[in-house]
Amino acid sequence: MTAVANYVKNIVDTVKTTLVGMRITGKYLLQKPITVQYPDERLPIPNRYRGIHYLEQEKCINCLACARACPIDCIEMDAIRHGKELEWVSFTLDYQKCMFCELCVYPCPKDCIHMGTEFAFTSYDRSEFVHDLLSYQGMSREAKARMIEAEKKKKAKEEAKAAKKAAEAAKKKAESEAKGEDAPDAGTDGGEG
Amino acid sequence: MSLPLHLAALAAPRSATNQINDFLTGVKPDFVPDWALPLTTALISVGIAVAIISLVAMSGTWLERKVSGHIQCRYGPMRVGWHGWLQPIADGVKLLLKEDMIPLGADKPLYLLAPALVLASILGAMAVFPLAPDFYFADIDLGIFTILALTSTTTIGVVMAGWSSNSKWSLYGAMREAAQVVAYEIPLGISLLVPVMVAGSFNLLEVSNGQAGGFGVLNWYIWPWVNPFMGPAFLLFFIAILAETKRAPFDLPEAESELVAGFMTEYSGIRWSFFFMEEYAAMFLYCVVGSFFFFGGFESPLTSLARATDVHLLVQVAAAVTIIAKGYAGLFLMMWLRWTLPRVRIDQVMTLGYKYLTPLALACVLGASVWEVFLAPVLPWR
Repeated sequence: MTAVANYVKNIVDTVKTTLVGMRITGKYLLQKPITVQYPDERLPIPNRYRGIHYLEQEKCINCLACARACPIDCIEMDAIRHGKELEWVSFTLDYQKCMFCELCVYPCPKDCIHMGTEFAFTSYDRSEFVHDLLSYQGMSREAKARMIEAEKKKKAKEEAKAAKKAAEAAKKKAESEAKGEDAPDAGTDGGEG
Repeated sequence: MSLPLHLAALAAPRSATNQINDFLTGVKPDFVPDWALPLTTALISVGIAVAIISLVAMSGTWLERKVSGHIQCRYGPMRVGWHGWLQPIADGVKLLLKEDMIPLGADKPLYLLAPALVLASILGAMAVFPLAPDFYFADIDLGIFTILALTSTTTIGVVMAGWSSNSKWSLYGAMREAAQVVAYEIPLGISLLVPVMVAGSFNLLEVSNGQAGGFGVLNWYIWPWVNPFMGPAFLLFFIAILAETKRAPFDLPEAESELVAGFMTEYSGIRWSFFFMEEYAAMFLYCVVGSFFFFGGFESPLTSLARATDVHLLVQVAAAVTIIAKGYAGLFLMMWLRWTLPRVRIDQVMTLGYKYLTPLALACVLGASVWEVFLAPVLPWR
């Protein structure tokens, strides 16, 4: 009798377990998928995620602190200084080398280089992995304006100084002329000084 | 009831082939020779069957990918068209452009013939499938036997493919297919005998007509008040068609994880897609057969409503919609099962086929015949 009981039990078990399984898969079938359509929508990325860098170029002073901190020397930068303003040439990061260690971020005195949240970075050519972080080349319009302003100010100051000196020299000359012909070269000396 | 109805069917040339032939005779210009007519008719009929098969295969692959995706909490194809509905066309183009490879040492004629044979057998079976009460290609008295016989010939194609591929995986797949089909053809045929006994006919149209009335629902053969052995018979039938169409949990001939792709390991491109088309067309065909013999065929509340309006075309459309919807419901059920159950071992397949399904099918036939002979005549609703 046990054989027959076993036989019946097998049938009942098969049907029952299949139905249980179908209930579970059916539940999943009706629920909303948990995946997202990647390039169109993205899952939120944690704030402290270490992705591709971004640079606040306005703040950067070209001090090379980050480049020196980099353990694999993948940061290179170049800028021409005009007084206090910078004319940017390049600020490259070689992502073939970069290991996203974040060591470049801490030494920055101006807090201008950051790790971003962008992680998808593909290319058909290796050379494209040398990424330029600059958002503009040369000088920004504001920096240029500031530079021109500063130059103007400097010029004005110099002119004022020169005018003052000239005035002083003229005064001296007048005084010496008034004294007589004792010091004939005094006017030119004052002008040069 | 069935004999005069059948005579009427013979008298009225309603078959789609005749309809096409009549239409062509009407529009034929004089310079076209007479012998061209039957040829054109045959070509158009085959074209319709091929179109049905391709459409079923395309929608089937799309549905499969969507259902599997959602069961696994994914989306499935989403890029090509709305929710990826054009994906099968993109796949088809890709498969057409793929290199057609023939492995070294393969038995070339057999290797090339196998996919064609597989597809041809399912095309032949499509001839018996009536799309609507007045739209079919062949009204055969032994309709269901024709379908069973023709769909079983796919096995020859599969064994041929496995044998000629010169690959051990393929050979294993083919051997499993042969063993499986031999084991499951028996319960499949026997379980279908139960509705055949109730209907008193092998003809799909007559079986469908036998379930008319009762608002299109109450007279379906599946209900226990018609015959209580019908439910178990349907279960056996469904398990058997899963094995016949090589669907999970009986996809041993394919067995992706152990045999790579089983009998079609070596096939690529469009020849490979023939096997796929066959699989989905066979699934659909068996589901349609199941709905004809257990779930009312053309009969549904929709068809009853259409019949009440007494518009001929409306009845045909409603019937076609009904049978296609039932076919796809079966297809969905098969997919649901595929993504629920793990694949069974070959010895478990054999055990299930020989030790469980066959005796149970025989018991169902016995019980159903006793019911039909002794109880059905006295039941007031029969």
